[in-house]
Amino acid sequence: MERIVQGMGISEVLRSMRQADGYYITNTARDMSQSDYKNRILLHTDLLAAPSREEAGYFSLEITGGASVHVDILRKQVDPFLKLELLREKMPKTMFQTLCRGINLFGYRPYPQNVIRFVVKEFAKYVDVWRVFDFLNHVPNMQAVFEEVQAAGKILEPCICFSTGPEHTNEFYVKKVQEILDVTGDEMLLCIKNHGGLGSPKRIGELVDAILQKYPEMIVHYHGHNTDGNDIGRIVSAAMAGAKIVDASDHAFTGYYGPPPILSVIHTLKEYGRNAVGVNEEAIMETSELLQPERKYYEYFESQIKGFDPTVQIHKLPGGAMGSSLEQAAKGGFLDKMPEILHKELPKVQIELGNYWSVTPGSQILWTTAVSNVQGGDRYGNCSGDLRNLLLGKYGPFPFYQPPDWIYEKAFGPDWKKVLEEQGGMEAIEDIDIEKERKTLADKLGYAPTEQQLVTYLQHPNDAVNFFRFEEKFGKVYVLPPSILFRRGGFKLGETLAFKDHSGKEHIIEMGPMQESEDGSETNVYLNIDHHQRHFVFENAVAQAGEAKAIKLNKKEIEDLAKAGDVRAPFTANICEISVKEGQEVKAGEKLVVLEAMKMQTPVNSEVDGVVAKIVAKVGDAVQPGDELVKVTPVA
Amino acid sequence: MRIIRAVQELGHIAVAIYETPDKDALHIRTADEAIWIGDGPRCDYLNIDKVIGVAKKVGADAIHPGYGFLAENPDFAKACEHNDIIFIGPPSDVIQALGDKVTARRIMLEAGIPMVPGTDNLSAGDAGLREAIDFADKYGYPVMLKATAGGGGRGIRRVENEKQLRTELPMARAEAKSAFNNDAVFLEKAVINPKHVEVQIIADKDGNTVHLGSRDCSIQRRNQKLVEIAPSLIQDKALVDKICATAVTAAKASHYVNAGTVEFLVDRDWKFYFMEINTRVQVEHTVTEMVTGIDIVRTQIKLALGKNLSFCQEDVHIRGFAVEMRINAEDPQNNFMPEGGKTVSVYRSPGGYGVRLDGFVYQGFTIPKVYDSLLVKMTVFGFSWSETVDRLLRCLNNFVITGPKTTIPYYVNLVQDPDFKKGDFDTSFIETHSHLINYEDQVSEGNKLAHLIAEIHYKGENPYAV
Repeated sequence: MERIVQGMGISEVLRSMRQADGYYITNTARDMSQSDYKNRILLHTDLLAAPSREEAGYFSLEITGGASVHVDILRKQVDPFLKLELLREKMPKTMFQTLCRGINLFGYRPYPQNVIRFVVKEFAKYVDVWRVFDFLNHVPNMQAVFEEVQAAGKILEPCICFSTGPEHTNEFYVKKVQEILDVTGDEMLLCIKNHGGLGSPKRIGELVDAILQKYPEMIVHYHGHNTDGNDIGRIVSAAMAGAKIVDASDHAFTGYYGPPPILSVIHTLKEYGRNAVGVNEEAIMETSELLQPERKYYEYFESQIKGFDPTVQIHKLPGGAMGSSLEQAAKGGFLDKMPEILHKELPKVQIELGNYWSVTPGSQILWTTAVSNVQGGDRYGNCSGDLRNLLLGKYGPFPFYQPPDWIYEKAFGPDWKKVLEEQGGMEAIEDIDIEKERKTLADKLGYAPTEQQLVTYLQHPNDAVNFFRFEEKFGKVYVLPPSILFRRGGFKLGETLAFKDHSGKEHIIEMGPMQESEDGSETNVYLNIDHHQRHFVFENAVAQAGEAKAIKLNKKEIEDLAKAGDVRAPFTANICEISVKEGQEVKAGEKLVVLEAMKMQTPVNSEVDGVVAKIVAKVGDAVQPGDELVKVTPVA
Repeated sequence: MRIIRAVQELGHIAVAIYETPDKDALHIRTADEAIWIGDGPRCDYLNIDKVIGVAKKVGADAIHPGYGFLAENPDFAKACEHNDIIFIGPPSDVIQALGDKVTARRIMLEAGIPMVPGTDNLSAGDAGLREAIDFADKYGYPVMLKATAGGGGRGIRRVENEKQLRTELPMARAEAKSAFNNDAVFLEKAVINPKHVEVQIIADKDGNTVHLGSRDCSIQRRNQKLVEIAPSLIQDKALVDKICATAVTAAKASHYVNAGTVEFLVDRDWKFYFMEINTRVQVEHTVTEMVTGIDIVRTQIKLALGKNLSFCQEDVHIRGFAVEMRINAEDPQNNFMPEGGKTVSVYRSPGGYGVRLDGFVYQGFTIPKVYDSLLVKMTVFGFSWSETVDRLLRCLNNFVITGPKTTIPYYVNLVQDPDFKKGDFDTSFIETHSHLINYEDQVSEGNKLAHLIAEIHYKGENPYAV
């Protein structure tokens, strides 16, 4: 049987798949990286695996999208476009697949239409299969992406996000499929996106069957997660019911919350008389043999809690958010409260907020709300800006029912009805002037940016600029293996590191001694770079032992200070925007600062009319509760 | 360092003196003995009593004053004479006469040497200002305000108008006082964009005086020489010969003994003017040594020890071209700010045919903040001018100094400049070729990646990945 190769159009793919006796496999390497390694699997490792993955004969390799585009520049310092170019060189036949959050692209909140179209156009040059979803299954939120993907001649794969509960019936989902078909036409693949790995194998089989009963020609792609350890059951059930594509990944790196191992899927389905089309099992084995030795370098990024989590059926967190949520819990010191948050509060919040699909960015809203409800004591007492936007319907309509009135009252006060009336509903986000942004970026960089740089900048302005500057300073660091980039505890004296740089030039670096300056203010690190001695100087952090410990303010005190114009951070967050200037007049209720915590943004508004006397915080600062943000001198 | 080498070659013992900031300097490590004379900076080296005292203590027969600090101080030469220590240089009265620019002008005028119009020492206070204004009114601006006791390009200011003259004069006096311990200043009419041509002369006690050919030192920045060439690239050989002959006349007129340099300005009409005689060996003497084959410092020592010149004018032949580039620890892109205080982490020098290095640094050396920023003099010889320029570029490209920023990348641009290649330059060259400052501060990809590795090592984890 013939494998599907890059360059085939949607009609040809549909024809081949409909004729094929068997099913196809997508290697969801990106989802594995995101779910089980906090998105840290490096391009270096993917390049290592590229030749054998190319031979393995997958329908597609999911290698970009989701949170990875952001993490590529933020934590791995690799250009998401360069990554695709380099992989393409080694993988000419395999289709590359992305996961796109519709109107939220690869981020956490809606983008203007012209930005969405521009970004999709640029990525479509490299990405063949576009899996597109919306966390409210609100089809209009995906329309712009649908159109651009189809216009670019790429393969569109709209999703129905799947969850469980009384509202999540076959009838509902079949109706959703029709809504999608009404927009896309039938030249597409349909994905059942089971991002939490929810439901039993039986339930998934029934859903696939229900869809195929109604649309017998439909090519269904089942996407699942192995959080409860039972995804192979669901995959088998989906394939037996007629799903033509299933997701899994390389066993050398499979963990808990991501995809299950490809070979297990193949071997199991073989017993059931279903064959994987075009795959080369030896190449799949070889991939894992190559990857196995690399896994140890990623250990630090693996989940804080080891083992499968069957309770996902209760808390429904998506596999892609499990690792990061547990990491936040560990860093925030509330890992011990996880049973309460995951098994009691989160399910309660799910139901209260409309039992929608717990996937980005909706899953972050559910999670931060549940954490805040448990940590703050007062349920819904401290609604994030994003929760407020959700309640106002800014992301789209609630699919089944509206949250109860008391939550609105908590969020918007006694006049909540008026607020909802005045501000409720989706509003078109105004297009931005892309040429103006191009100029702004050029000014920041000191040179004309490429289209790709502009695309990255439009999605993540601050992080993109930081990344471009990082590259100027440190070069193209994707050439470094995880054994160097993720080394913990430093290198050994005399250790030799060898690698090729982006242009293919070999370098040998020998580690020399590390010495503090006489006054202890600096540390010199000595290296032999290509047999030439060099040293780098690092300023030592000033010891803070003598410093008085900051006085901790409680919530009441923070609120009282705010009423006097002394605006403090109400919770642990990063500053993502300063909305005012010193000397500016502000009215009560006017936005001063926007905080970001756990990807969710919350505005801090002035409690008083007055003049901004002093801005203490800077964009990018990490603040603790009670830290000074802005001082407003109230007008009498 | 240069001197230590000559002293040691002659089979003598070389004793160096040093101030604390120079304790790790290469010449201190090379000398047979090194004597600490104080914490400095720049005060112990200028302390005649201390230097003489140390010389007597170690039983020194002679002192070579080098080319800075006390080298042109007649009091120092006199002190040597009084203490029966041979001063390797001209007699103190010659230094005295020539060091006083106004006296020197008088001697040269009497000998019929062409001179730029100038004043005597300006009187103190307002009277001096009046004299200066009168002179400038008569000959026209711009004028050069010079310290009478100055030398080596120091203590010279170009003044464009009366207003500037009024403000600069007191400053020039104060500067002269602190730099040369003599606040006398005088004025000369400025020659616009001249070539700086100088002649190495050498004379023995019996008055045998020869010249070792010309040098062009026009490539200067704020009167500080950066690049020196031997011989001058002036096409008119008769003019160059005439300048050299004039230099010998000037040396004889001043009863010169030992090695010295007669400096001239050549204007755009190919007229030349006497500027001054430097009564010491100059930094750029190396280029003359390369094209004549004569070891000037060795000759100096022999003359000081009472020997006569072992060669006459006819024995001196100029062959090929030599260029000296002063590789300074300076950031050309930051107004040539000195990079003192930084450590030379890599020092890899060029070699091969036609390359001479007179260096003061080594890998691991921290450049003192308190002295000159000169790291190494790179002198390159070639049979033709174009060969010399080709070799210069090769050597600069092979010269690696990391730690401080240096003038190397600037010179890389300079030696590729068409005007430089043609030999067409005057003292305005640096100013009129300001684009030479545009070069990328090149950090190789390997160094960039190593920087990140160093940071991962220092922090114990990759701070950009967590």
